[in-house]
Amino acid sequence: MESITPQIIFYIFGIPISSTIISTWVAMALIITIVLLVSKSFPVALDMIGETLTSIVSGVMTNQDTDSYLPLLGSLAIFIAVSNSIGIIPILTAPTSDINTPIALSLVVFFSVHFYGIQKKGLTNYFKEVTSPIFLLPFEIIGQISRTLSLSLRLFGNIISGELITAIVFGLIPLIAPLPLIGLSLFIGILQAYVFTALSSLYIDLAVAAKN
Amino acid sequence: MSEMSPEFIIVFTTTLVSGIGIILGTAIPAIVEGRAVLKALDGIIRQPEAADDIRTTLLISMALLESSSIYVLLVILILLFANPLVTQFLN
Repeated sequence: MESITPQIIFYIFGIPISSTIISTWVAMALIITIVLLVSKSFPVALDMIGETLTSIVSGVMTNQDTDSYLPLLGSLAIFIAVSNSIGIIPILTAPTSDINTPIALSLVVFFSVHFYGIQKKGLTNYFKEVTSPIFLLPFEIIGQISRTLSLSLRLFGNIISGELITAIVFGLIPLIAPLPLIGLSLFIGILQAYVFTALSSLYIDLAVAAKN
Repeated sequence: MSEMSPEFIIVFTTTLVSGIGIILGTAIPAIVEGRAVLKALDGIIRQPEAADDIRTTLLISMALLESSSIYVLLVILILLFANPLVTQFLN
């Protein structure tokens, strides 16, 4: 039971600090440190990462101006990829294996979809397009809620299944046997970061694209 | 059968249902995803210049297909690790 719910490590002024928050801090510090180090010595690597993210986003979006959505989607992809992969460090658990982190990330996507839609089309125009056949409005609402829920649960389920399977095999044979599973969960973590970014850009593209 | 405690019955049934459910919930999406990959490979062989578009669409649709098996996994994880029935019936 302690593998699904996060453990509370200590308190700061009465605020519980769980293991998720600590590993999120470690992930943030890792990203900032790597970016600061690499940007001094080897800036081509950052260009390569940016090119990869641009090609992911622009491969899904049919819009011309993907640059205005790239900061959000790129930072989502980098944070999810790092925080999925950080679970292989022995003391830490992946922040995305706690259900609160994926739900927070998918709520960011949910609100930014509507924000970009309103920003692009105007308030009345956007809601007029959302409710354009009025009898389809309940399905639209169900679709919005379920896509947000599935976006978070997909990330959570993939990461927690990788961690649990690694833990179970580690309990059976601790020596060499968990290594292929750790590799598989690393690959799945990077793939889920790609999938999260691609789906977020697809949703933003659906909200922004002109309906004809 | 009268010596079975209700806790044993709940745990036994939950474990049995989890085993059957994870088999169905992984096998059926795996078959469907295999058919999707087959069709996508067919398309890539026919039109190699459309491979990038097909790959992007394939990855997104496979993530959507996979989410159903992830839901099964989450329900089974709740049943196994945080079973609500035990606390509800045994108080």
